[in-house]
Amino acid sequence: MSGSNVWSRTREKMRLFPELFAQCANEAAVYGKCVAATTTGTQELRKDLCAKEFEALKICFTNAAKKRAR
Amino acid sequence: MSGRLCRRLLRLGCPASSAGSWSRLSGTGRPGAGRSGTGRSGLSGGGRMNVFSREMKQRQKDWAAQLQDSQQYDYLREEVGSRVADRVYDIARTFPLALDIGGGRSHIAEHLSKEVVERFCLTDVSQQSLRRRRPSEIPTHCVLADEEFLPFKENTFDLVVSSLALHWINDLPGALRQIHQVLKPDGVFIGAMVGGETLYELRCSLQLAETEREGGFSPHISPYTAVTDLGNLLGQAGFNMLTVDIDDIQVHYPGIMEVMTDLQGMGESNCAWNRKSLLHRDTILAAAAIYKEMYGSEDGSIPATFEILYMIGWKPHESQAKPAKRGSATVSFGDLSKISRPSGTDQP
Repeated sequence: MSGSNVWSRTREKMRLFPELFAQCANEAAVYGKCVAATTTGTQELRKDLCAKEFEALKICFTNAAKKRAR
Repeated sequence: MSGRLCRRLLRLGCPASSAGSWSRLSGTGRPGAGRSGTGRSGLSGGGRMNVFSREMKQRQKDWAAQLQDSQQYDYLREEVGSRVADRVYDIARTFPLALDIGGGRSHIAEHLSKEVVERFCLTDVSQQSLRRRRPSEIPTHCVLADEEFLPFKENTFDLVVSSLALHWINDLPGALRQIHQVLKPDGVFIGAMVGGETLYELRCSLQLAETEREGGFSPHISPYTAVTDLGNLLGQAGFNMLTVDIDDIQVHYPGIMEVMTDLQGMGESNCAWNRKSLLHRDTILAAAAIYKEMYGSEDGSIPATFEILYMIGWKPHESQAKPAKRGSATVSFGDLSKISRPSGTDQP
């Protein structure tokens, strides 16, 4: 497929993922620890169990994306 | 979507995966006229398993082969191909005719020499891969055929090799039986397939992320054969003198996106019928964080495990060693304790 279409634009955006993710290492670690705790502890993993940590991660990620776009 | 249109075009173009498999040869020497026995109708016991979409796998392999930088995704196939070639060298024989099933760009033949294999036959579903195969000093014929429907006569080949292709086959027992049939008596099959705990880190990360973000999860990694089942499968297909061993290859990546991009570039994207075609961006973000936290190493990279199962099986022949007959023992196990220690210094 030649020219710019939704697939090529989405792929371009996904290419930036590792760079943006690297800027949010702290929030990612906090979220990861929250989920990893359920694998060893007694608490079962449910939907939105770590929603707060994920929101923080997502806000950091979108901010990084906005900064990059400027 | 354009899915239906693509499928119709594909059926006109390349019927390699349907029952009437055609083979295009690039040299002299036709393979045998008939197919080797078990087609769709010849299977005994139950219906066929249909886990993978072979059409999709062909499209994925074609796409991966025509990438500009497809060489950089070859590292896993290179490594496994060289280890399979090592195992071929371990057998002190010259093989007049060898077959490579699912060989793709042919990573085994480039390590073999003319003294070991005289003529080579390379099979794959993907035409683009065969076109871009790596050069080798052995004269090679290319055959466009599905691994589940081998278009060769019985007792044709002395050696059959297969590297990282068997894990996308729907009917593995049937395929192994067909390999057994195309082998000559006293022929050998050397195969390598991913199995068991391959990519368990990726599987677990995606599972946890989807459960936490979406409330449920669907399989994103294709199912693999366990090493314990492999011995049974080979035995049922008729091979004897089996050897099965496992090798763990751990590759370190910067992040989860690189893992998935590399798998896609290798042509190893999932093609199971039950795959979910969508991965939410939230889930990807969550899975990246989980993967790094649970499995990441100190330098910030994440490991991905590939568990490669190597198998060697021989087609029965009178010259092969058989278990001794009952009652033919000349010494008793009880005599073991009576063996005195050798006192000479030349003993290890």
